[in-house]
Amino acid sequence: MKGFKTQWSPEEADRWSKEDYLTFVISPLIYFLLALGAIWSLLLLWYGWLTLGICGLLLWLMIKIIDPKLKAISLDYEKKQKEFLEELEKIERWEN
Amino acid sequence: MVSFAWLDWFWLVVFIVLMIVCGVLFYRLGKRSLADFFLAGRGLPWWLPAASVYATHSATDTPMWVSGVIYKYGLRGIWYTFFSAWCAISAFASTRIFRRSLAYTQAEWQTLRFSGLGAELLRGWIAGWQVFMNMFVLGWVGMAMGKLCHYLFNWPEWIGLMLFSSLCAIYVLAAGYWGVVMADFQQGVVAFSVIVIVSIWGIVAAGGPQQIMAKIHSLGESWRLNPLAFSGWTSGDFPLVWFLTMLVIAVIGGFGMGTSIDWYPEAQRIQSARTVRDASYSIWAGSALIVARNSLWAVAVLAFFSLYPRIQDTAQYEMAWYRLGFEFLPVGLVGFFFAAVVAIHISTISTHLNLGASYATRDLYQHYFRPQATDKELVWVGRVTTLILLLGSFLYGLMMKEITQWLIFALWIMTAGIWLPSILQVVWWRFNAWGYLASWMANLGLSWLVVWVLPEFRVIPSLPDYLQFWIMMVLGALIYLPITFLTRPEDMNRLVKYYVMSRPLGWWKPVREEAIKRGLIKPERDLIVGGQP
Repeated sequence: MKGFKTQWSPEEADRWSKEDYLTFVISPLIYFLLALGAIWSLLLLWYGWLTLGICGLLLWLMIKIIDPKLKAISLDYEKKQKEFLEELEKIERWEN
Repeated sequence: MVSFAWLDWFWLVVFIVLMIVCGVLFYRLGKRSLADFFLAGRGLPWWLPAASVYATHSATDTPMWVSGVIYKYGLRGIWYTFFSAWCAISAFASTRIFRRSLAYTQAEWQTLRFSGLGAELLRGWIAGWQVFMNMFVLGWVGMAMGKLCHYLFNWPEWIGLMLFSSLCAIYVLAAGYWGVVMADFQQGVVAFSVIVIVSIWGIVAAGGPQQIMAKIHSLGESWRLNPLAFSGWTSGDFPLVWFLTMLVIAVIGGFGMGTSIDWYPEAQRIQSARTVRDASYSIWAGSALIVARNSLWAVAVLAFFSLYPRIQDTAQYEMAWYRLGFEFLPVGLVGFFFAAVVAIHISTISTHLNLGASYATRDLYQHYFRPQATDKELVWVGRVTTLILLLGSFLYGLMMKEITQWLIFALWIMTAGIWLPSILQVVWWRFNAWGYLASWMANLGLSWLVVWVLPEFRVIPSLPDYLQFWIMMVLGALIYLPITFLTRPEDMNRLVKYYVMSRPLGWWKPVREEAIKRGLIKPERDLIVGGQP
């Protein structure tokens, strides 16, 4: 998608970027429109379906923006997780 | 009272047996390790914890709570239920940070983020508080079931309270979180389907959307149909300031950890997801389902209002959605409906039994009493504490009467004074354990004072809840901010470790620079822009 990164190196993905900030705006908006759209649609009001349609489009957009980054973070983090878990257990057992 | 035909009993018995068997089947997985008993081995795909988020937050008292606010405030009451929107931002902010910390519980996270005596005090405090809160939640949810069974079968309330929670405890004791999450998936699917069926059935029974709206207009109550019908900026029973306060609490709260009481069960689901991405999607999708469900309930309760518009007694109109199901569904389906209500109920009970036990086992028993305990021993401790929580919840349940009153107070006491500190601990490196601990202590005192004691003795007038929130936030800050600045920052070694592991959002510049200096992370200028390194 133009204007948004789709390829992330692990180091880049670890930093908070405009993709994250935009997701912080879109995501609550989806919830807000979902709450209203579902009510109006159940009351068979035409703008309910419209609201749900906008909601669906925003969801698609949000996933397009944030999913490549989340994938990159997850792939990189899984490699380090075992080491971090060992560290965690040491703290738990007062060894660290 | 409702009378069941044999088919109704059939549905109920089959369903309860299926739920218990489904949970118990995972006995072998649950006993493998502590991580299995409390986090299903941290290996779940996103849709399983998502179903669990949804199922857990659909409790027996939830339709009563939603019925109460919608019947009283009309469709604008939907915003009372919108607090779950904290997950909208949390899914991509605090969820990501928490999943990377790998902490079993929020209490454990405190000792990863903070250090020294303050961190340990905080961990002990939050663990103890969570054991208490889970018992408390089990009590009020159990009592809601007691009330429902009393309404349906005229049973004494203690029977409904104890019977279904005890049945649920069978698979929680056997399989731990594996049993919880697998049963939650099954219960979530059944519960959502039945919520759709009953709500639409109720809407049709009231004559359909057109007739419901026409009836409400004819009653001169058209405002009930407008979700945004504010009574003024600060005046009336639904001021715009309240709405804006709620939006701030819900949405901005997603940057923090512990800004909502729902954070604690969600934290367990976050850690049980197999990757950071799965954790984010599970929290987001589970809460989206909750938002949609609340809207469905809202319209159904509106339908109920059009049928029975003059009920004054809160306890009566809180039963609105249940009455639609039990009064309008045909014989044979009523039992199916009740079986789904049992599903709704025990999905919440199972979560809080296992969650409370995780705090007691991991944060209290293991961390403070037996750090070298084996996994086998800890799983057994988990089972014993599950049983203790169950018994304790019966006592709490018998002490509660008014569902809505308890819920509002519990939500308030948990969010008001510690809302901002719960965000600060995530986004600001300088906020320390003593500051956070002080905010908790201040909140406990201030919430009782501002909400109950001072108005009761007429020292201050009884304040609207949005004003209580802002007052408690400011008063709390006057206590915890000076304490934060008068005490030392956290140990830099601990902060650097935490930063490298969790990569928090916000004001972390000194810690980031130290991590770069130690060669643990790359400086920004070394990153190749626009593609692979």
